[in-house]
Amino acid sequence: MGSNKKKGSKNGIDKSQLDKLTRQQLKELEEKEKTRGQIILDWVIMILPVVCGIVAIGEYLWVPDNSPNKNPNTYLGMLVIFIAAFLIYFIVALVKKLRGDKTVLDMLRYRAPLFSALFLLLAGYDYLTLKTGILTQPFVPCMNYIINIAWTDRAYLIECTLHTLRLLFLGYFIGVALGLVTGITCGYSEKVRYWVNPVIKFLGPIPTSTWIPIVMVVATSLFKGAVFIIALGSWFAVTVASMTGISNVDKDFFEAARTLGASSRQLVFRVAIPHAMPSILQGCTQAMSSACVAIMIAEMMGVKAGLGWYMNWAKSWAAYDKMFAALFVICFIFTIVTKALDLVKRRVLRWQNGVVK
Amino acid sequence: MAEKKVTLKLENVSKSFAKVENDEVTHALNAIDMELKSGEFISLVGPSGCGKSTILRLVAGLITPTTGKITVDGKEILEPSPERGMVFQKPTLFPWLTVEKNIAFSLKMQGKLKGNEEKVERMLKVIGLESFREDYPGQLSGGMAQRVALVRSLINEPDILLLDEPLGALDAFTRMNMQDEILKIWQERGQLAIMVTHDVDEAIYMGTRVIVMDANPGRVVADIKIDEEYPRDRSSAAFVEYRNEILNRLHFGGNK
Ligand SMILES: Nc1ncnc2c1ncn2[C@@H]1O[C@H](COP(=O)(O)OP(=O)(O)OP(=O)(O)O)[C@@H](O)[C@H]1O
Ligand SMILES: [Mg+2]
Repeated sequence: MGSNKKKGSKNGIDKSQLDKLTRQQLKELEEKEKTRGQIILDWVIMILPVVCGIVAIGEYLWVPDNSPNKNPNTYLGMLVIFIAAFLIYFIVALVKKLRGDKTVLDMLRYRAPLFSALFLLLAGYDYLTLKTGILTQPFVPCMNYIINIAWTDRAYLIECTLHTLRLLFLGYFIGVALGLVTGITCGYSEKVRYWVNPVIKFLGPIPTSTWIPIVMVVATSLFKGAVFIIALGSWFAVTVASMTGISNVDKDFFEAARTLGASSRQLVFRVAIPHAMPSILQGCTQAMSSACVAIMIAEMMGVKAGLGWYMNWAKSWAAYDKMFAALFVICFIFTIVTKALDLVKRRVLRWQNGVVK
Repeated sequence: MAEKKVTLKLENVSKSFAKVENDEVTHALNAIDMELKSGEFISLVGPSGCGKSTILRLVAGLITPTTGKITVDGKEILEPSPERGMVFQKPTLFPWLTVEKNIAFSLKMQGKLKGNEEKVERMLKVIGLESFREDYPGQLSGGMAQRVALVRSLINEPDILLLDEPLGALDAFTRMNMQDEILKIWQERGQLAIMVTHDVDEAIYMGTRVIVMDANPGRVVADIKIDEEYPRDRSSAAFVEYRNEILNRLHFGGNK
């Protein structure tokens, strides 16, 4: 393992080493050797988040407040936790590098500017709200208020979050499942397409939110109504995407599979669906964003629970800090969900970029 | 050697296609009669559009003849079967499966993979791509991909091997290597091989018979038996003789 110390010096690698080159070593070999300046710059960038974090703490502690600030240590604690988390990440990356795995540190180097910007953003926001009041105080509350209220009201926030998630996933999965069935059968069978296509053509251009007032009136329970709306949007996105995906499968693949003894069932499940997978997953991602929009509208317009409702309710009580707390939770949840979908996508579509392992 | 001996018969086979743009039909093949047997290596040559691919697709069972009958040992061909393996001009490997899984595809489809893993292993070895088993087809070179496609249909030990310009997209060196590889496989098992090619030298080098076709409508104009020992010498007098005869039949004569 010590042999890869010769990084960059191409002549220093002999034939036997070339034979058992790893992916990582190959990348290093082909990379241009970094100049001293670049290496120093890299390290500076990697510790920049810590510097920016300290700047944020300094800004919070030394600039005088413009409005009263209760429980001031919560925000401070959060900053410290963030910096500590980054430092742990940094140490892990360094240890891995010493053991010969450079990838974690490379990733950290790649992300470090974003982390730094995040700390600066927090500092800037704090300056505009708490310190100067340029963003007027109770309406755009400073971060410390938001975290404090999120903590005090956590039981209720969690309850609302769970309600939102339940609604989101129920609607989403029903929609995606039905969408897969209709999309795949439509893509495959002309007869089914004949009947389903007009429905899609008719329903397609109508934004999901249009249905909300109608559903609120017609549905027996608002929860069911909201599930229906979310499912409808997801169904539409997935149906269209998988239909296109399936009907675009190269005829040659079917012919090859048939000469290899595939039955018509296998042609669907072993050829058409895998081939359409990129398109299908694209549809699933789209379905998720449409579901996220639909759920917020549904919760703000009628459903009496969930984060969207919480936001509206907080607004009507002029509890702006609660409103912002809910907003952050919503952002956080949607980010996680999108990220999870992205991971699934990358895993399933590994063959597309030809990446092994 | 344990190959089943089969006889493939095309009796008065015609195939016409409806044109997309108007109401007319293209007569791709007109009244083809052929009798081909196990142990033969048939080279099909002819101008573009004379129906060479159509013959292979008919024999594969991917399309049905307009008139006439195609039989294997008297049994009419109605649908594709792994007993008639086909290799296309494009490798058509499934890009979402690794090399190994592509080769195993057909066994898996027939539910025969269990207990036959060593067949996949042997096929990988035949084409010398053992170290690429985990790779996806997108990472292979053209020649490697075509080799995988070849063994993917060979794994069924087909009685009839249909090759539609399998080497068409390869460079000259890879091509000559693959010619020998295919010949070796065919000599070992002695199945009936039918190969479409647009290269007359390749047709003579590989075939026991060269069937020359012409277009409008697609028909057989010559059926030439190549009486030479393998491996053949591309510069021998007999080889040149055959080449001239075939080129003549293709209307490229008078170049002597
Ligand atoms: N699916 C199809 N639909 C309509 N016409 C077709 C179809 N397949 C083949 N044809 C027509 O049949 C004729 C023979 O086609 P074929 O593909 O068998 O030719 P070929 O001898 O293989 O030519 P090439 O050497 O260019 O591959 C052509 O005129 C072609 O246009
Ligand atoms: Mg052809």
